[in-house]
Amino acid sequence: MKLSVPMPLRLVLLVLGTTAFYMYLGQIVPQKEAHPPPPVLISAEMTTEDLVAVGAELASGKGQCLVGCHTVGQSGPLRYPDLDGIGARAATQIEGLSGLEYLAQSLYEPAAFIVPGFADGMQPIDQPPISLSEDEMKAVIAWLQSLGGTPTVTLDTELGY
Amino acid sequence: MNRNRIIFGIGVLAFVSVIATVRLGGFLVDNEYRQPDRQAVALEERGEAELTPRQQGIADEQAADEAEARARPYEEAEYRTVPFVGSRVTVWVLAQLHLLFAAFVLAVPLFAFIIEFVGYVKKEERYNKLAYEFTKLLSVSFSMTATFGAFLTFGLIILYPKFTNYLMHIFSPTFLPYVLLFFLEALFLYSYYYGWGKFGPKMHLFLGFMLNIVGTAIMFIANAWLTFMMSPGKRDDVDGDGVPDFVSAVSESGALLSLRDAFFNFTWMPINIHRIIANVAFGGSIAAAYAAFRYLQAKTDEEKAHFDWMGYVGNFVAIIAFLPLPFAGYYLAAEIYAFSQTLGIQMMGGTFSWLFVIQAALIGNLFLGANYYLWLGMGRMEGGVHFQKFIKWLLIAIALCFAVWATPRYAISSVSEIAAMGGSSHPQLSYLGQMSAKNTAVNILILSTYMSFLLYRRTGRQSVHPHRQLLARAQAIVFSSAAALVIFYGVYGYYVDADVRIRFAIPQVYSVLAALVVITVIDLPLYRNAAQSGETKWGRMPAVSQYALIFIALSFTWLMGLMGYVRSGLRQEWHVYGVILDTSPDAYTPTLGFATQVVSVTVLIFFGLLGVVFWLSSLGGKKDWEPKPVADGRDRLEGGQAA
Repeated sequence: MKLSVPMPLRLVLLVLGTTAFYMYLGQIVPQKEAHPPPPVLISAEMTTEDLVAVGAELASGKGQCLVGCHTVGQSGPLRYPDLDGIGARAATQIEGLSGLEYLAQSLYEPAAFIVPGFADGMQPIDQPPISLSEDEMKAVIAWLQSLGGTPTVTLDTELGY
Repeated sequence: MNRNRIIFGIGVLAFVSVIATVRLGGFLVDNEYRQPDRQAVALEERGEAELTPRQQGIADEQAADEAEARARPYEEAEYRTVPFVGSRVTVWVLAQLHLLFAAFVLAVPLFAFIIEFVGYVKKEERYNKLAYEFTKLLSVSFSMTATFGAFLTFGLIILYPKFTNYLMHIFSPTFLPYVLLFFLEALFLYSYYYGWGKFGPKMHLFLGFMLNIVGTAIMFIANAWLTFMMSPGKRDDVDGDGVPDFVSAVSESGALLSLRDAFFNFTWMPINIHRIIANVAFGGSIAAAYAAFRYLQAKTDEEKAHFDWMGYVGNFVAIIAFLPLPFAGYYLAAEIYAFSQTLGIQMMGGTFSWLFVIQAALIGNLFLGANYYLWLGMGRMEGGVHFQKFIKWLLIAIALCFAVWATPRYAISSVSEIAAMGGSSHPQLSYLGQMSAKNTAVNILILSTYMSFLLYRRTGRQSVHPHRQLLARAQAIVFSSAAALVIFYGVYGYYVDADVRIRFAIPQVYSVLAALVVITVIDLPLYRNAAQSGETKWGRMPAVSQYALIFIALSFTWLMGLMGYVRSGLRQEWHVYGVILDTSPDAYTPTLGFATQVVSVTVLIFFGLLGVVFWLSSLGGKKDWEPKPVADGRDRLEGGQAA
């Protein structure tokens, strides 16, 4: 006996089946809830080493440096400069600027100097939506200095911004 | 037993059940337990009300609630919640349903007007009839749009009162024009629909033209509200250094600085362009789904032929609008990047990276569905076998492009994974996920689909142009050159710096667009007055082709739901990006799994309502009700009662 499915039922099955298929795709991809970045606690007694650790955390979280923008230790076609060795390289990027001054400028005024071969695009990260505090900026700079260089920043360091 | 009698019997039974339940409930309440003590008797003798334990409990609760309400000072609510569902999901579903119906209501007049105009120019009544068939869907859909618009407005006012108040503070001067335009749209829409055949063709076309103008203006105003939330300002070269600076339309605290900048904000025009094209593609697919629905119901060959043609035209409109849609999408994405790299990277990387894998699956299915329908359409005409050998190659090209497009550049990664990879991109696979590869894939997809359309157009036709071989070769050269150029830039993009690579999308897009235009321009004279090797037999399509049309409409709807989510979701914890923070319990981005569940529910509700729209629209074509004649010559009502 040939089983004939009525047209309205076929339509319902098509709608439910297609929707279920797309919904299933949504279930099998990696799941992650993205919450606003938790506040990073920086206390007055933190050492430079502590700041490096906090800076690394900020770079992958609230600061968003490594979330699709910069890389560390990658080559090939990159969106923005790879940060490996930036701690050593910073002092030679702009004549007249120390490594610390260069790093501070690149965070507060990223459009002031664009690394050759890359496009302008980074926004000042002390402003919304990233809005790093001054202490958080120091922590990020300490972490950047640690990438191939020697971190020198403390919470007492004056950044000039 | 007569079916009508059964239905009537069930109705009577249901009514009696309701009455019986109410009476039983009343009886139980009236005969509540009362304490048989002397105090109760004394109260009754004094004529004072005696409270049962239940009534006493209710009275005590009410008194406690009132006392609490009086003690509590009035506070302006910032957020309110909806039990079980949550305020965000409520507003999300309402907004999406409103947008889906609005998109349809805005799109259908656009191509109904064009079809009517073509009919007017070509003096062919069948176009007029087709345009009217499309317009039939508008009336109920317009009511649905307005209903969900009202739901959405009330939802925002009730659930997000403070934020809604803020938006009113910014955009209140635009509300009156919006309402007036809405009134005008109703006027033009109903006069366009009910005035069909009542006005002269020019007057009727004018009404259709005005309907489109007013509808588009309404959309532009509403787009200003939503794009402001994403990009509250514009870019302008303020300091004269040749580099655009961000000019915020509001102060840091959110106070309005410039309504003009808030309205004509950075992403306003890209969204306008994207939405117009997307609406037409979506509207065409829904209209084609309606035609498919009617085709499957059709009893006569004439009906089948009509709805087959309608489905073909609807799908044609959808595909023609769909081809440039990825370009509009990339323009919008590029503008979002240009406005804020952070926003752009949130969109294409991080949290939303896997969303674009699902988007790729949807778009791949849309291309496959559209091509499949075209390939099946070759069966309408004799001589289609000749071209069927090309189908497998087109299928391979489409599948490969699909796979490339589905490869993400950035993956959701934990902090440790990011550290291990040295970034959020996979060391090898991310090469396929780069814009060079994706731009190449989408351009080849478009060229392949256009090739399917060309093959369909040639089926059963033989060019009689004196230079047909030369012109056909020219088309092949243009097509191959465009494909080669696209692939060349795609590969070369891996060997140049980012600032050079990012500009390669432009020649890729232009070469494809130019190829589409040039090939079309050559094709028109090439196949003008072409010899027909067989007759086009409308209504000869297999049923599966009609289910393909409905599948395309479903995929379009789902795609709109998904992209609506990412457009809104990429603001993350901001109501207005960088200005007004969302401090509600929903101030986080849900998992993609949850988002797809919400999108699915919305799509199912929409298609349920669309079924009602289709059913109501199809009533117009049915015969008027007439009493059935009985054997003795007297009329008899359908329910069996004597008239």
